Amino acid sequence: MKKHILSVDDEPDIRELLQEVLTIKGYRVSTAAEPEQAKKIVKEDPPQLIIMDFQIEEGDGFVLIDEFKRMAPNTPILLLTGAVFDRQVVRDTIQKKVASYLDKTASLNTIVSEIERLVGDPGDAAAAS
Amino acid sequence: MKEKLEQRVIGFFAVMVVILAFIASSAVTTIQRTVKSSDWVNKTHDFIIQVNDVLSCLHAGDAALRTYLLTGDPRDQGAYRSAYGEMVDHLSVAKALTRHGEEKDLQNSEVLELEGLIKERIDFTGSVVQSRAQGGLDAARQLMTAHPDVEGMGKIQRLARNITEQENNLLKQRDQEARLEAQATRTKLYTGVGANFVLLVLVVWLMRDDLAARRRATRALEEANAQLEAKVQERTADLVKANQSLKQENLERRWSSQALDHQLRYSQLIINSIYELVFVVSRALNISRINPAVSHQTNWEPQELVAQSLDRVLSLGAEPSAGASQQNPIVFAMHEGREIQDQDAVLLTKSGRTAPVRYSMVPLRDHDKVVGAVITVRLQNGSRKPA
Repeated sequence: MKKHILSVDDEPDIRELLQEVLTIKGYRVSTAAEPEQAKKIVKEDPPQLIIMDFQIEEGDGFVLIDEFKRMAPNTPILLLTGAVFDRQVVRDTIQKKVASYLDKTASLNTIVSEIERLVGDPGDAAAAS
Repeated sequence: MKEKLEQRVIGFFAVMVVILAFIASSAVTTIQRTVKSSDWVNKTHDFIIQVNDVLSCLHAGDAALRTYLLTGDPRDQGAYRSAYGEMVDHLSVAKALTRHGEEKDLQNSEVLELEGLIKERIDFTGSVVQSRAQGGLDAARQLMTAHPDVEGMGKIQRLARNITEQENNLLKQRDQEARLEAQATRTKLYTGVGANFVLLVLVVWLMRDDLAARRRATRALEEANAQLEAKVQERTADLVKANQSLKQENLERRWSSQALDHQLRYSQLIINSIYELVFVVSRALNISRINPAVSHQTNWEPQELVAQSLDRVLSLGAEPSAGASQQNPIVFAMHEGREIQDQDAVLLTKSGRTAPVRYSMVPLRDHDKVVGAVITVRLQNGSRKPA
């Protein structure tokens, strides 16, 4: 069974692009624009990876990270945001909460490589769980 | 060359067909002759048998006649009459058998001669029997002694043997002819089959080079097809790879565009959210960008300030340490690459009103070169919007 990745972002273009790329790579991708929708997916169909921005409409990214960690403590979170610019700040603060952090200005290839590093091959969801 | 070869092959096959037709025709003719000859042989044998039976019946009739002449018993008379009757029947059959066939004239004449002799014999026998009935045995004996019967009987026997001998000779002759014909037919058959075989070998020999050339051409075509297939597969793989690469590049471009757009909007959002007035100026103090707070506080629209000198909206105090040629403190600070913190200035609105403000300046560096400056202006405590 294909590995499941959840993408949480309030920008539809970002969600669609990520879904398109990761589907091509062989992953099963769900998307959510709002925290409630994302939490529902995590509860009903736990993903192997959560990709999220912390600027989300009707919610706060940092709060949502804590909620995800409570709901699915073993699921890694990749923070993909363009809101924080200072790398040192990221290392000292945000990266302690998530498995990985990438700036949105990073290349798509870099983002996919990081996702593959975090969840591995797209086809062995059973082994991963 | 190829057409010539085809013409030759067709010619050879035509000859083979003609030979086969000749052999078949010859065989059919021989079979018909054999059937005809067989009929003739059967009839001839039958004819010989009938002639021999005529002779046998004659002898049997004579013996029965002599017995009758001695005994005068009517039963003996019936025996010779019966024998003579059979003789006449055999003679009739022999005559009927000689009505057809190649030798009918000769046979007919001999059979007619035999018939005449037998008729004479029967007539004589009738007179003897009549004499026996009227004058007794002596009268019959006298008649027989007076008649040269022995000579007539001998003629019949010689003629019958002659006929039989002639017919046997004809049978031998026919047999020899049949053997020769069979031999000739076998020779034709073997010769025809041999000739056809030779022609077939010749055709194969003629076609050998052509077949080899065709095989070579087929192999070359197969190799060319295989190479073409490999090239097509290789090209297809390249195209698929190029297509994937293009898709990847397209996705990358879309992602970069989205990311930059997001970044720009985010940066813009931050700048637009600053309460202080922000000016970005060039090294010559021309305004290149302002935040919405500037328009809000001065009523100048961005297009009225961009590319204009900063003096139009902000009047600065002279830099105390600057020389006569560098009266503007911001220009002086940019030149030295240092910041200005919280200095006095006067803000000029579009309507001509003024308001005291505090400003700071940070040089704008691009790769360690100062290309301009960011000036933030804060209204002094208690001051209100001058417009």
